[in-house]
Amino acid sequence: MSNAFDFPGGIYPPERKQRSNQSALIEAPLPRRVTLPLQQHSGQPAKPCVAQGNAVKVGSVIAKREGMVSSALHASISGTVSEVSTTQISIEGDGQDEWLRLPPLVWQNVEPHALLERLNESGIVGLGGAGFPTHIKARVVEQHTIHTLVINAAECEPYITADDLTLRHYANEVLEGAQIIAKLCGAQHIVIGIEDNKPEAIDALKQALTNSQPVPVELAVIATRYPSGGERQLIKKLLDLNVPSGGLPADVGVLCHNPGTLLAILHAVRDGQPLVSRVVTLTGEAITQPGNRWVRLGTSVRELLEQAGLNTPELHQVIQGGPMMGTPLLTLDTPVTKLTNCLIAATLEELPPPPAESPCIRCGECESVCPVALLPQQLHWYARAQDDAKLERYHLFDCIECGACSYVCPSHIPLVVDYREAKSRLRLQRIETAKAEHAKHRFEFRQARLAREEAEKQARKQARQAQQRRPSNTAATNSEKVDLRGLRIAHAAAKASVKKAEKTLARVAQEDPKQSLDDLEMQLATAQENLKAAELQLAQAREQQSNEESP
Amino acid sequence: MSMMHASGVKDAMTATAVPPTASLMRWVIAATLPGIATMSYFFGLGVISNVLLAAAFGIALEAAVLRLRKRPIRVTLNDSSALLTGVLLGTSLPPASPWWLVGVGMIAAIVVAKQLYGGLGHNPFNPAMVGYALLLVSFPTYMTLWAPPQEMLPNDLWAQITGTLPTAQLDSLSGATPLDAFKHKGDAVLASEFWAANPLPNGTLTAWRWVALAWLVGGVVLLAKRIISWHIPIAMLGSLVLLDTLFYLSDPSHFASPLFHLLTGATLFGAFFIATDPVSAATSQRGKLIYGAGIGALVIIIRTFGGYPDAVAFAVLLMNLCVPLLDIYSVPRPTGQQKASPGKPGEQP
Repeated sequence: MSNAFDFPGGIYPPERKQRSNQSALIEAPLPRRVTLPLQQHSGQPAKPCVAQGNAVKVGSVIAKREGMVSSALHASISGTVSEVSTTQISIEGDGQDEWLRLPPLVWQNVEPHALLERLNESGIVGLGGAGFPTHIKARVVEQHTIHTLVINAAECEPYITADDLTLRHYANEVLEGAQIIAKLCGAQHIVIGIEDNKPEAIDALKQALTNSQPVPVELAVIATRYPSGGERQLIKKLLDLNVPSGGLPADVGVLCHNPGTLLAILHAVRDGQPLVSRVVTLTGEAITQPGNRWVRLGTSVRELLEQAGLNTPELHQVIQGGPMMGTPLLTLDTPVTKLTNCLIAATLEELPPPPAESPCIRCGECESVCPVALLPQQLHWYARAQDDAKLERYHLFDCIECGACSYVCPSHIPLVVDYREAKSRLRLQRIETAKAEHAKHRFEFRQARLAREEAEKQARKQARQAQQRRPSNTAATNSEKVDLRGLRIAHAAAKASVKKAEKTLARVAQEDPKQSLDDLEMQLATAQENLKAAELQLAQAREQQSNEESP
Repeated sequence: MSMMHASGVKDAMTATAVPPTASLMRWVIAATLPGIATMSYFFGLGVISNVLLAAAFGIALEAAVLRLRKRPIRVTLNDSSALLTGVLLGTSLPPASPWWLVGVGMIAAIVVAKQLYGGLGHNPFNPAMVGYALLLVSFPTYMTLWAPPQEMLPNDLWAQITGTLPTAQLDSLSGATPLDAFKHKGDAVLASEFWAANPLPNGTLTAWRWVALAWLVGGVVLLAKRIISWHIPIAMLGSLVLLDTLFYLSDPSHFASPLFHLLTGATLFGAFFIATDPVSAATSQRGKLIYGAGIGALVIIIRTFGGYPDAVAFAVLLMNLCVPLLDIYSVPRPTGQQKASPGKPGEQP
């Protein structure tokens, strides 16, 4: 059934996966020093909670979640914190590799909120590339009914074999991780989407599927075609559902997870092991020992490639991610993060720079390969002309930046670069136009904070009075009749507005991971302050009432 | 950011890789060779002199304008698009056209229709057809001088090309093309009577058929190499055949058969080499189908009811006019969008 539906377009670039999928998945040597950026996920950067000189173990929390869409960060080696800056934390290793694990949980027996909290404190984010905090994604059930969990093992980009090797080695664990998420989101059905160029991983999955699964799992092997691993493309192909423009898979009752993330989820729940390492594909013609490694987060890319036999004179560029959607690294002295799924050390011959750009001849080849059925050449036209109204009308923001259009363009136009520039310009514009709104939200936040502080002051005062055990009749005469009902309504309203702010934030963050979230985080903080104030007032009023009733 | 590019990877599946723009142009030029060879065989070396002259004018004019526009000359000439325009206009002209006729046509094509609009990729009209149409309306005497099939090296070839042939002798060169003859048969003459009278010089109809088939060969090569997509030629030929079948069935005694329209004039040449010019055609697949169908229908309408025997140039130019409109109304429905047409202004995407 898996090939019954299809998405438009697509290309068949050379796969070049053999280079890295021939050897087994092994541990990379323990790094002596790690550098952990505070922003390894979409949303707000984490906030450091250690100081220079602190001793840490593997798994110690070194930075906490800041705001709602954010993720905690853990030490990936044991040793001493050597530097805490505004953007990163460095740890000098002691070579002991001492661990600090959370207590193991038996996921079948614990409550969903405990599982969510575990995902939150383990710093799990989507390891497929977007880095969206998993605990927020798992809370989607609060607004949507999920019927199907899709395991996105398509891994359609050339070179990358991290999911392939993960599945070969950990098929059972990945499936168990999927069961955890299925439990959390209430999915009744799990579908694994995998391209037919990974026979070993498919075999491993078939083997693992002979074990009984609480939620039924279907293995859907699909034809290899780029970009079948795009979330929307895969959902279309497997389930024939169209995720609406600007919407989320959850809008059609689907949740999508990458095998690496599911494995990390299992490790966090079953073993209490936070996210401190990940599988990275090391490949390209400029290294002699390609393959997949378990790499501690924060390991230097240079160190990692040199251990894999980097041939520096031959090296032309290192690409983080795949050759279609990845980014060339400007320096090798950069750490592996939660988002690093692949490092390609490419020679000049292997990935030559495109020839000089020539004018668009409107051949329409880009349109025939676009998996979203956009008109890339029209978008190119409008992007170059900075015709923003037209860009929006031609659905620029539906572009998934897969690069199929650039790949086939006979005029070698870097189309996706143009689209990305246009998108960030439009995002900036949206922030500019919302500036007045933003100022208003800042003001509201300040008001809410002051109100909450006032409420706290009142509460403290009342507590003092209660301690002094004043005669109750004075209290009763001083205060008017307490409007308990009104306060309860206000409290409920405050609670609802927190929920609403959380919902909006989670949604916007997932819809467009690159959109700035400051304003929405501020609105959420305001709602939270209001809720605190309302809670305090309500508690105060209740106490007062009980005092009145029992003098 | 895509670091991989179809033309940069040698292990790509070649069936899906489109060649770069410059080699795309060269492939089209190469695909005209069967047609040009066949035409020369039947109509003499005047065909080749046309092509060479037009190509030379094309390159020289493009270089001159690029120099005036202070644009890189060599890189741009290297895309071979001016050369292609020359080849296409050259093959469209009556064999052994005088040099100045070719020159005027190429000025209209390269300078006016292409470079004044901004060069490759920016011209709204098919340059070769602009040149052709201009010549057709300005110099009808020369443009209808289509000699009947003759030996490879006609006697007056040099005099014709240099334009030194006395005007009195021009008429002797003229021979009606099949389309021309059929058009001017007169209402009183039934089609069957017209054919029975053997109205054309010997071998004319056969020559045109062979030439048409040679263009078809070139077109199939282009389709097979994925230089052009099937949408425009199939839509154009389809609508042409369909419309003419309706006419023909309604009154076979006055209308020509679909096969006649397919295999004479510039039908197949136009379908594969002219209408498929991507720059001036519609871009979306649906748009291409409408565009092609429009050309096919216009060809039949102009040939049947208009003042000119053939109509590919006018049909293409008229449909070029419609392209901006087609581009707006043939937008495909992006995945996840409710509607196909672009959103309204100000509407959130």
